[in-house]
Amino acid sequence: MTHALIAAVTAAILFRIVPLACEGDRLVVAGAGVLRLAAGTSCAAVSPGRAIAIALDADNRATPQKLTTDALPAAKIPRAAYVLAPAAATDADETQLVTSTIDVTVPPRTPPGDDVYISTERSSWSPSEVRMDRVDARHFRLVLQLHRGARVAFRVTRGSFGTTERNAARALPAAHVALGEPDAHVAVVVAAWGDID
Amino acid sequence: MLDGGAIVFFSDTLALVARDGVTLTFADGTRAHADAAYIDLKSDRVVLAGHARLARRAATAAADAIALDLDGDRVDLLDAASGVSRTTRALGAATAAEFDAARFAFPDVDDRNAFIKSKHATITPHADVRFTPASFPTSVGGVPVPSYLYTYATGAGFAASSLSGATFDQPYGLWGSPTSLTALHARWDDGPGAALALQQQIVSGDDAYVSASIDAPFRGYAVRSFTAYKRLGARYTASADGSATIYGSFAHAGLTAAFGLAGAALDYRRSSTGFSTLDASLRTPDRPLFGGATWRLKGIVGFDSLRGGLLNQLPDARRYATVWRHGLDLQVASPLIHAPLGTTLSSTFDLQRTWYAFPHHYDQLGASASASRPLLRNVMLFAGYQGQWSSDVFPNAQTVFYPTPATPLLTPDGTPYYGYTAFSGARTFRSQNVDLQFTPNRGASTAFRLSVIHTADFPQFNGYGRPQWEARADARFRPFPNVGIDVGRVYDFAWGGTRWQPRWSFAITP
Repeated sequence: MTHALIAAVTAAILFRIVPLACEGDRLVVAGAGVLRLAAGTSCAAVSPGRAIAIALDADNRATPQKLTTDALPAAKIPRAAYVLAPAAATDADETQLVTSTIDVTVPPRTPPGDDVYISTERSSWSPSEVRMDRVDARHFRLVLQLHRGARVAFRVTRGSFGTTERNAARALPAAHVALGEPDAHVAVVVAAWGDID
Repeated sequence: MLDGGAIVFFSDTLALVARDGVTLTFADGTRAHADAAYIDLKSDRVVLAGHARLARRAATAAADAIALDLDGDRVDLLDAASGVSRTTRALGAATAAEFDAARFAFPDVDDRNAFIKSKHATITPHADVRFTPASFPTSVGGVPVPSYLYTYATGAGFAASSLSGATFDQPYGLWGSPTSLTALHARWDDGPGAALALQQQIVSGDDAYVSASIDAPFRGYAVRSFTAYKRLGARYTASADGSATIYGSFAHAGLTAAFGLAGAALDYRRSSTGFSTLDASLRTPDRPLFGGATWRLKGIVGFDSLRGGLLNQLPDARRYATVWRHGLDLQVASPLIHAPLGTTLSSTFDLQRTWYAFPHHYDQLGASASASRPLLRNVMLFAGYQGQWSSDVFPNAQTVFYPTPATPLLTPDGTPYYGYTAFSGARTFRSQNVDLQFTPNRGASTAFRLSVIHTADFPQFNGYGRPQWEARADARFRPFPNVGIDVGRVYDFAWGGTRWQPRWSFAITP
């Protein structure tokens, strides 16, 4: 009987969770709710804040498991499994790298041989942090790999602070934002450069 | 202040995750303990996970997980058995509350992709985090430093630098606040070589900043400089900048105004040589011409001034201590034209004339054309041409201002440049470039580029002027998940008495 139960649990679907706490027979799942542990299961393998996998038995009770790459996100856990649940769950998987595309249109007076860069707070706003790929004479593109949930503020330059973009009033614009969401896209039209009126 | 057995930081998500026993001390004296903690620096949200306890003066609160803000009053307590209750930072009696999942979101992160690992972090909300010590992990080991200040403030002034551009510039934050940053810069540039620079920035959001720096190369002379900016309402901006070396100083003050898409500017420049200029300009917006082309006209009025006279070539040079001038600048830009086979074409033209308050005018014509064409799915070919022709005209006095040299001009390697005798004020700058760009994986993280540039100018000879041939290769790639590298190599060929002259460019990106 015990062997059959273990086999059933092993074959069950695994869910990747970040445990917030584990006390007694209760397992708190980040952004989701509170699960009940399976009988005979302890919190010994649970370290708050560190992702693990769990399997659910027929009674929707959780058993901690070794983390595997095919584990489903916590958002896929049936709501019926929770003994305590919020109105809506939150997916906070930031392990996934997603691509975020920045498209920049430059003004016609941009010197044709100049490279265009983005500058972000990640490099203390280095004006030549990442060189963009040229699409044509007026368009540049950069595909960033960001963690899901990222929010990267950036400005457009031609490689030095003096060449940082300006808005139509020739003032410094607020930073643009590239989001770490699947296939995120942000389009920026540079009205003017700091060194070219 | 955050202390933990292990702290990992992710620069793009601004997530701090601490585990293996965490202590957090807030600015108001509140202390927190937990098995693990997550701080979202984007929203200043804190989640304490596992055996979470809060203490403020004599008041305490405990729960399986606690959610609160770095500088807010709301405190949510999650007890696995009884649910969620809510209190304040005063930690009074808690009342039952709804279970807000977003408050208790704790990110699932991969520690291998962390930007920084540490054991102690001091957070200044909306400004920076100091890690002590800090290690920058890679798949082949970590790069440790005793302390590292990571600034995430987004005010435009934090991007303002009074330092000149360099081949390599790595800042190291010393002190920071939401409105200021003091940073040491390790720099390398062709010519002066290695340098250390110190820069102070004082910032007021996107509207105002002052940045001052001293750049001290190990060889050569130090450069002290500053730049300042203030936005004056929706229409006007004021700016000032300057620099000083042992050889002299330079300062500039400017004012811009916007009237819809038209604009005006006033600029005054002065150097320690006594030379100064004033320019007042008005520009039209870009206006449609035909077929998508646009034109723009700019008018400039101003003066040049020099103690002792501007025109040293004249016997009565002192009469010309200040020379007024006015000019017109017509710019025409073609639209981006899409031709067959994915080809795009574009061009610009620029025609300028400046009249001076004595018999002298300066003409300039500029033209550029660019073309791009995809060769393969990930390979693009670019070609460009840029030309600029100028003429400095002194009617009936051309030979006074552009006399034939009595002896041949010597180029940097000592070769005489006999052709320079033909120069009488008319210059030509022409360049052609061809670039091949390869972006595997649709440009995500990796890009390669090969470029060849040819210039045909006058005057130009063997080290005098621009190199005639230049080849460059650039590569951008990510050797590790959290570290990107952009490296470039440039060769100038058969110029200045050398077969070729190489240069490097190098940048590390998060």
